[in-house]
Amino acid sequence: MTPQGTTGETTTDWSLLARIGKKDEEALSALYDRYSGLVFSEAKRILRDTGAAEEILQDLFYQVWRTAERFDPARGSLAGWLLVAARNRAISKLRRKSGQTEELDEKGVSLKIDVESRAAQNLLLDKVRTVMGNLPENQREALECAYFEGMSHTEIAEKTGQPLGTVKTRIRSAMEALKKVLS
Amino acid sequence: MSSGEHIRVEELELFALGALPEGEAAALQAHISGCEECASNLAQARGNAALLAFAVQQDAPAGTIKAELMARIRANREAEARSAWPARPAEADRGGADRKTDSKGGWWNWVLVPAALALALVSLALSWQNRRIAAELQRERQAAEAMIRDRQQIEKLVGVLASPDTETVKLAGTSDAASASGLVKFNAKAGIVLYSADLPALPKDKSYQMWLVPANGAPISAGLLGPGGHAWGNMWTAEVPVNTSAKAFAVTIEPVGGAPQPTGPKVLLGAA
Repeated sequence: MTPQGTTGETTTDWSLLARIGKKDEEALSALYDRYSGLVFSEAKRILRDTGAAEEILQDLFYQVWRTAERFDPARGSLAGWLLVAARNRAISKLRRKSGQTEELDEKGVSLKIDVESRAAQNLLLDKVRTVMGNLPENQREALECAYFEGMSHTEIAEKTGQPLGTVKTRIRSAMEALKKVLS
Repeated sequence: MSSGEHIRVEELELFALGALPEGEAAALQAHISGCEECASNLAQARGNAALLAFAVQQDAPAGTIKAELMARIRANREAEARSAWPARPAEADRGGADRKTDSKGGWWNWVLVPAALALALVSLALSWQNRRIAAELQRERQAAEAMIRDRQQIEKLVGVLASPDTETVKLAGTSDAASASGLVKFNAKAGIVLYSADLPALPKDKSYQMWLVPANGAPISAGLLGPGGHAWGNMWTAEVPVNTSAKAFAVTIEPVGGAPQPTGPKVLLGAA
């Protein structure tokens, strides 16, 4: 991933975002095409509700349109920000919390892997699914309860009937395995 | 939690996953807001957690969502442009002939463009109304589910108070708060702590925090006595890991929002 221009044949996220900041609708359309599937699928997995996931998807890209010029490339990955913001909004909705709208540059997210092309996304989808599929069931359950259900480790310990330390260890082990896809 | 002055990567990853309880998350957030290194490590932890989005089954949103988004953007742009019409200096500076042509074009503009804009806005409004109604139905359903959950929680707490497994621990003030007192009801099997306390007022930047001191290991937060805590009637309540053997309960003074581990003076203490 580079700060500007193109990588091979793919226009970078930053290049698209700079154009969106100048109110270029085609650039927003291209960014939407690039990440809408990932964002929507993540929100739908959390909420198990297609309509609510679509609402989050549209609101998120509308926010990108309105605040593109405020995003600082130095703060990380736009793809990462989209996925984290979608997850946070979906969890807020799931747990009926009054979710705050993340400003585009508020939370840095560093995703150290290229996901700007469909091929790169497909490769990462394969890698992550393989890692998750190979995780021990209890590790995968702990990780998914936290990320997709918004449960604290205390809540996971209660749900699984395991000591808090065991839950933390399972989550950490699962994260260690997951991070290997970056290497 | 911390190694030296910085937060361990493992804790940041738990935070990024949303797996830290509110009190611990608030304390960690407070540290990060003033620590560039931890903020940078947290950005990395968030990116690592976001990899989980690649584990889910991929579906495509309905094509109408993008069309609605683009219509929403255009309506917004047109509304902004409309509000800017009266103040176009280039038009005001043109000569007589141009002005005649412009006045005809302008007449049409003033009739047709607002009409088109109105139609676009009505169409958009109807589309959003449909979505709002669907969202309201969803909210109503969630509210009903929440009421059921609340009732179940009340029944659970009443059950805890009545259970023979529930132990009562009296808390006495330490030398830092000699007149303070408190009472804890603890059910290890259910992992529920209920408590009340008579404590002096604190400065706005401080909170009282209840701790379960286990027979083995570090103290476990049992919530805050004040904003951020969970009140039930005139008592506070918190959930702790089930089947934890408690040696004692203690209340300390912590920064507002609580701390992952006790840092401030102990004001109440009682052996279980």
